[in-house]
Amino acid sequence: MRGSPLNFIDARQVPSGTVLRPDLAIIGGGPAGISLALALANMQIKMLLLEGGGMEFDSATQALYAGTETGVHYIPLDATRMRYLGGSTNHWGGWSRPLNESDFEKRDWIPYSGWPFPRSEIEPYYPRAQALIEGGPFLYDGLADGKLPGDLLPLGKGGLYTSFFQFSQWRGNPDHLPTAFGKRYAQDLKRIPNLQLMLNANVAGLRLAEDVRWLDHLDVATLSGVKFTVKPRHTVLACGGIENARLLLASNDRAPAGVGNSEGLVGRFFADHAIPRSTATLVVFGGKIAGFYKTNLNARGTHFRATLAPTEEFKRKRRLLDSLITMDQRTELDELGRAAVATTSAALGIDASNAKAYALGCGLELTPDPYRRVTLTGERDVLGMPRLKLNMTISDHDFASYRQTLVELGRQLLASKAGMLRLDRKSRAEWLGVLDWGNHHLGTTRMHQDPKQGVVDANLQVHGLANLFVAGSSVFPTYGASNPTLNLVALTLRLADHLKGVFR
Amino acid sequence: MSARPNRRAMLMVGAGLGALMLGAGGYEAWRLFGRHYPPTPYDDLLSQLTDREAARKIGSAYSASHPEFSARSAAHLLRSRIRANDLRPALLTEIADNSVIEAGHWVMPESLVLLCAIAAKT
Repeated sequence: MRGSPLNFIDARQVPSGTVLRPDLAIIGGGPAGISLALALANMQIKMLLLEGGGMEFDSATQALYAGTETGVHYIPLDATRMRYLGGSTNHWGGWSRPLNESDFEKRDWIPYSGWPFPRSEIEPYYPRAQALIEGGPFLYDGLADGKLPGDLLPLGKGGLYTSFFQFSQWRGNPDHLPTAFGKRYAQDLKRIPNLQLMLNANVAGLRLAEDVRWLDHLDVATLSGVKFTVKPRHTVLACGGIENARLLLASNDRAPAGVGNSEGLVGRFFADHAIPRSTATLVVFGGKIAGFYKTNLNARGTHFRATLAPTEEFKRKRRLLDSLITMDQRTELDELGRAAVATTSAALGIDASNAKAYALGCGLELTPDPYRRVTLTGERDVLGMPRLKLNMTISDHDFASYRQTLVELGRQLLASKAGMLRLDRKSRAEWLGVLDWGNHHLGTTRMHQDPKQGVVDANLQVHGLANLFVAGSSVFPTYGASNPTLNLVALTLRLADHLKGVFR
Repeated sequence: MSARPNRRAMLMVGAGLGALMLGAGGYEAWRLFGRHYPPTPYDDLLSQLTDREAARKIGSAYSASHPEFSARSAAHLLRSRIRANDLRPALLTEIADNSVIEAGHWVMPESLVLLCAIAAKT
């Protein structure tokens, strides 16, 4: 039953009752699982990567993700992620940006904030993570220091600055789509001699040893009815921010609250980046703005786009959440808008006869909330796994924090005489009316050194279980405003280094 | 030396007269058809607005959400902030000092909004 180097194994061909004994089992073939397998390729250990889906989308497999949502409107649980090799990189937009230093800090105005380590801890892993996502040279805000195809929007002294995203761009793909990890790295994975990659292999249970301090084995099942067992020395759970929690919670035969859930934290603190549309209107008095604010451009060996972001100093001083502002489509001003522009530009002595207006979008960090969570329901999928219910929340405080950031942007535009800003959303109903989400699943197995406050420790090991680790953005204790893939890959590469020490 | 008037001088005089007549006509047309505002106690402030009609729209939006607004109090405040014909530097100072507020959801310097609101009340 060898997969590599010839091909992946189809779990449907594995005889029921088989027991596999790898050194390391990786559950989930998304960006975290694949990055981990690639990073451990040279280790003399037997690895088994279990992917629930196949190489392509399959509706029966995808249906295993179905659940229910309550609270604030959220994307259906079977539409917000992808269950086949590559995971959610099969539908991502490629937006990439490292987290800010302040995102790791204990911020006394944000409850439950603070990573167990500073950004410098994962800084060394960013270049390799950048290479894996195929984002070009690691430049980001350094793009502002070099030649760009256009001028930066003059903002004057203040709380916001032009910050840059870079984009994953699958180099061999003529359409320049973002890197879909499954297809992009399939051949690389097949070449790893000590890796077996098994498709259509759904882990349906994490079974603890009697003393509940050791993960004894995994129950694996296929939709065709095959059932077998994996008894790994160590296991990394890398199924994504929703499914990691589901698997831990559902594995409740020996630990009644679920694996790693003695403190009731698994599934809590779920988060995503809120991306309300058309949150504000930005008018550029002179009418001209560099193209990289409005769309993705290629320069200096990378695909990039400018956003407007609050500085670290501004967020600390005003006690704000992180956010990023994007300039979206052109828009027309109404009569009041034309009056505002005419009056203000005249008072400032600026010619605004060619003024142009743009709708602004954004990505918002949420305040961690233990009641924004996934829980098991009584309904089960065809494999017998309990389905999930997500209770989604967003607080008025989170909208208000972003609104303060927008007001500062408006002030800076006036200070530099470059333009002005209208705040398009005020009431909760208005915000909720334009609310969308980033499909970034964060926080359900949060990291904290104290077992009472986190599911995993700083090495991503589940508290109290010596041989179970969690990879992916479910471990993020706070979320920043940066898209998670680059960051979770960097964090996974750090985990790989830790595991090398474990296996030596 | 000829007593005949210089032709160029005559043309210049004629052009001058023509311009004067056009100017007078223009003034008369403005007086007859241009926008007029009755005198107000705030004309020293309102004269600093380039487009009073546009300003009134902003001012109305502001005062609709600030029913407590008083033109008299606002004028008193503005006179303490703005010396004659000195609006622009005063606004720039305000912007630097974070004195921006919302009027009809637009972020604007506070004094400019108050000036617009006075315009809307007159």
